[in-house]
Amino acid sequence: MINLKAVLALTFGCFLSLSAQAVEIRDHHKEVIGKDCKTCHDNGIKQFPSDQACLQCHDVDDLAEQTARSEEDKWQNPHDNLHYGKELPCQECHSEHDTKKPLCSNCHTFKYDKHKE
Amino acid sequence: MSNNNLLGRRNFIKGMGAAAGVAMAAPALAISEKADGVKWDQQVEVLIIGSGFAGLAAAIEATRKGAKDVHIYEKMSYFGGNSAINGGLFAAPDTPMQKTEGVKDSVDTMVADQLAAGRGIADEALLRHVAEHAVEALQMTLDAGSEYHPYLQQLGGHSVARTYQTTVSCGAGITQPLLQECRKLGVHTHNRAKFEGFLVGDKGEVVGVKMRQNYHFGEDQPGEVINIRAKRGVIMATGGFAQNVNLRMAQDPTLTAEVGCTNAPGATGEGMYEMFRLGAIPVHLAHIQSGPWASPDEGGFGYVSNYSIYNFPHSVAIDRLTGKRFMNEIADRKTRADAELNCRDAQGNALPPILITSYKDSKKHPNTKKVIKYNVGWKFDSVEALAKHFDVPLAPLKAQIAEYNEYVKAQNDPQFGKNMTEAKDKYIEAPFTVVRLWPKVHYCQGGVQINTNAEVKDSFTGQAIPGLYAAGEVCGGIHGVSRLGSCSIPECMVMGMTAARSMMKA
Repeated sequence: MINLKAVLALTFGCFLSLSAQAVEIRDHHKEVIGKDCKTCHDNGIKQFPSDQACLQCHDVDDLAEQTARSEEDKWQNPHDNLHYGKELPCQECHSEHDTKKPLCSNCHTFKYDKHKE
Repeated sequence: MSNNNLLGRRNFIKGMGAAAGVAMAAPALAISEKADGVKWDQQVEVLIIGSGFAGLAAAIEATRKGAKDVHIYEKMSYFGGNSAINGGLFAAPDTPMQKTEGVKDSVDTMVADQLAAGRGIADEALLRHVAEHAVEALQMTLDAGSEYHPYLQQLGGHSVARTYQTTVSCGAGITQPLLQECRKLGVHTHNRAKFEGFLVGDKGEVVGVKMRQNYHFGEDQPGEVINIRAKRGVIMATGGFAQNVNLRMAQDPTLTAEVGCTNAPGATGEGMYEMFRLGAIPVHLAHIQSGPWASPDEGGFGYVSNYSIYNFPHSVAIDRLTGKRFMNEIADRKTRADAELNCRDAQGNALPPILITSYKDSKKHPNTKKVIKYNVGWKFDSVEALAKHFDVPLAPLKAQIAEYNEYVKAQNDPQFGKNMTEAKDKYIEAPFTVVRLWPKVHYCQGGVQINTNAEVKDSFTGQAIPGLYAAGEVCGGIHGVSRLGSCSIPECMVMGMTAARSMMKA
């Protein structure tokens, strides 16, 4: 049986982490979107943003260009990679309010120095 | 959350007395349900679950056979499943490249090789069906734009060279073109869509599925479940369960979380278990294969796997404790994985063995540069430097290399009986490249039983469950104890195509 207290604590914890005050937003995003959570949370505040949310402002072709690598390593471009092309949803590697490991690290030892883990 | 109630749809279950009583008392949490009175949120013509080789091939073939409204549902946020990250190795008999290279092969020879690896329990009819249609499947990938290395490889357990490999040495060289082809053909692809169970008609036929939309794998977000009606039926192409430690340990307790895994994170097996709940026959679930070419120095399949698959025929695998060979480097996967797991230090701790290759031969594979660059493999100018780095006794190692080079010359390996054809003129000489080896869970031979029409068989009647088809790794029994390398892609694709053909004929 699930402990009721644990459920309550968990629920309470969720609300806390969802409250605007406790949510960390990256500075460059703060400037653009301020405190309007719905700018990104297009599926509702308590839901993850849709896979298209980031693409309102970011262009995947531009991103791919910015992170392009030499011919030999061209498929290690996280925004245009061997396995998924340009289709990898941003949230696989990026999290606005938290840190994440890049998906590649499941299998590879590539280094992405600018990626915030 | 037990759901043993087979939907109460088989009258003879009622005659089973106590057993039926237990079944009928199961809570109303059944995941698969009767479709009576269900409100349909959507209706599609062909419903495919999973977007790997099998699902993509099924979608293309269904469209070619006249389907107008084909939908692929993928649980993960990205398409391609485990197929997008594997080695991209494709075995087929009687191929154009075999003709060019003068390799004599046949459907019979390929089936015989697979039966030997299957150790008596493989399904010959299915193996034959796949081998007979493998060239067709290869052609489908070529038509979609897949490109292959201009040479054949002879993988462990194969009696001849019959394996193509994509130029990117990865299954993505097939899944990416097939996905684009699907889009071109108007196939609808849905990501973050998790299969939650079947909806079943009065006669036990699969009429639709429950699908969780807006699903975020591994995250705490419930999404929303909708009911989708599938007019022609459902093709399950959901892959294996190598990533589900509980399920694989239920079959083989040695496969704990400490054993690595080469599969994509989504290979968790729910689709297969849901078919069992519906009545499908479980086959060979305990036969879970570990890849003997994997490296403990990187995650997943990584770069080393393809590097070593290519290099095994002209390399020596050395036990670091003894400085000696310990296996036939191109034996089938199980033989080699078991031999590697025996490589331990005096205290019994794992001591991953090393694979030594002459740089002049290894460098022909594109991954060689990368394994060195990304610190998962090393280059040495002398046997002394190599022995020192890996703490291998020098004298026996030198003697072993000299002895092996005699086998290369004589084209005969009395030590382990290795087929030396591909090692011809490839002596083990400095400079060397070296990787460490340790098996990783790679492939689930077990799954639901299907027939050569890709129809899922019912455990009580032995007949096909109407409206339900399955293809790829989710199916079991085809390969028996051990699947030969490069035989999964043809199987996934041929059975995916077969499922589509059967469905369009039904």
